[in-house]
Amino acid sequence: MNETNVIKVENVTTDRIFNISFELSLGEITAVIGPSGAGKSSLLTLLNRLTDPQKGDIFYYGKQLTTYPIIDLRRRIGMAFQSSSLFDGTVEDNLKFGPSLVGKWKKANGPLLLEKVQLPKDYLYRDVEHLSGGEQQRVALARTLANDPEIFLLDEVTSALDLQTVETIEKLLVQLAKEENKGIAMVTHNIEQAKRISDKVIFMENGTILEQGKTVDLLGTPQTEQLQKFLKE
Amino acid sequence: MAPTISNTSMLFLIVFVLIPVSLSYMYSLGLGKSITWSSLRGVIQLFLIGYILTYLFALPPLTGISIMLLVMITIATFHASKKGEGIPKVRLMIFLIILGVELMILSMWIGFGMISFTSEQVIPMSGMVIGNSMVAIGLALERMKSEFREGKGKIVAALSLGAKPQQASKIIIRKIVKAAMIPNVDGLKTVGLVQLPGMMTGLILGGVAPIDAIRYQIVISLSIFTCVSISAMLVTIALYRYFFNKNMQLIDIKSEA
Ligand SMILES: Nc1ncnc2c1ncn2[C@@H]1O[C@H](COP(=O)(O)OP(=O)(O)OP(=O)(O)O)[C@@H](O)[C@H]1O
Ligand SMILES: [Mg+2]
Repeated sequence: MNETNVIKVENVTTDRIFNISFELSLGEITAVIGPSGAGKSSLLTLLNRLTDPQKGDIFYYGKQLTTYPIIDLRRRIGMAFQSSSLFDGTVEDNLKFGPSLVGKWKKANGPLLLEKVQLPKDYLYRDVEHLSGGEQQRVALARTLANDPEIFLLDEVTSALDLQTVETIEKLLVQLAKEENKGIAMVTHNIEQAKRISDKVIFMENGTILEQGKTVDLLGTPQTEQLQKFLKE
Repeated sequence: MAPTISNTSMLFLIVFVLIPVSLSYMYSLGLGKSITWSSLRGVIQLFLIGYILTYLFALPPLTGISIMLLVMITIATFHASKKGEGIPKVRLMIFLIILGVELMILSMWIGFGMISFTSEQVIPMSGMVIGNSMVAIGLALERMKSEFREGKGKIVAALSLGAKPQQASKIIIRKIVKAAMIPNVDGLKTVGLVQLPGMMTGLILGGVAPIDAIRYQIVISLSIFTCVSISAMLVTIALYRYFFNKNMQLIDIKSEA
């Protein structure tokens, strides 16, 4: 096994995706693209065991994913969701949820996390109910960051943000990958975003991976008719 | 002793049935049959219970009370568990919860000297507690299913942050218990102002002084309050785990969009 490929998915099938194989590495951003309903979100939930494959194997550091204690696994492979999934309460309540489960929350972490996602410090004590869609999205990302995972599964985390904020989040993701050596798999509908920050791309349609490879190759010279069509739209 | 309503007077109740039935014909509501049927059924049920209670009251208290409590709790269990169809072991759990709550409140009543251990006192008081717990459990079950459906995103998010099912469910348990308690909280606010509560009405009709009747009412109202909140909390705590599989995955996540 290539040492950098910490996650290896082999011929995985569920009721929503079929015979999928790919790898994720630390220090890299992998963009998952494809039409709505392609199975992108379903693919991510397999990696932190919110769902399990019906067939096939997933390896993490060369060992079956199922051999890891599930709670530790989910803390090491963090996920941020497509639709708002914030808990009732304040921004701080949300940020401290994960760390508090293992007694690791420090009050001082709050402002630092907010700074990373470009939210003002005084947002800590705001009720999440009164935040805008984009602000909620950033709190959700900060909540995932709070657990300091090694691998990030990000499901359209910039879809509700303005251009300037998108840029900040993209910088954050690049920094996580390149400076902190995290692995990132991100679902995005934004092809330009994939071009800007991803190292690799996975293109899905109808529950299968039609193409995958280096971003420059894949988006520069798409091989399948489906991807060519998808890129034109 | 309370005055009895004579048979003749009881016969005149036919008038009380005929009025809604004729209204139903007049406006073609199509309710004639069901009004007649449910009235008849109600009368028969009450007469039956009258005879059964007379029989039970004649038995030694422990026997009479045990039989009646068992019957009431069983019926309440069947009724409440209809709302929880599809949850494994829901009947057994609900039965144990209502039984536990009833035994708890009963020992408090007796222990604090509020009532004595006689069929006449224990059975009616228990009936009210059991009936209200039944309703609260039904509400809690209904709410539980909808919270797990609507709050799915939050629960899955909690799991993904490393929460155990129990910790992930905590975020919705509050809401469920609250929903089950609200009817009683609201009820207590207007108690006695709009409608005299049933038990107090009964005691007053039976010739008990109002100032004594309210003592019973206070005991029962607060007992119901306690039992309802405990029932709702216990049913949620006992059953949340069936929404997860052994890999701490939300069961719905695969089967439902
Ligand atoms: N909980 C679920 N149970 C059953 N089927 C589901 C569930 N969620 C999604 N699906 C179905 O599985 C398929 C893949 O869904 P998925 O959410 O993974 O797609 P996606 O690529 O993330 O789409 P989008 O871009 O719209 O988010 C779709 O056909 C969808 O209808
Ligand atoms: Mg999706």
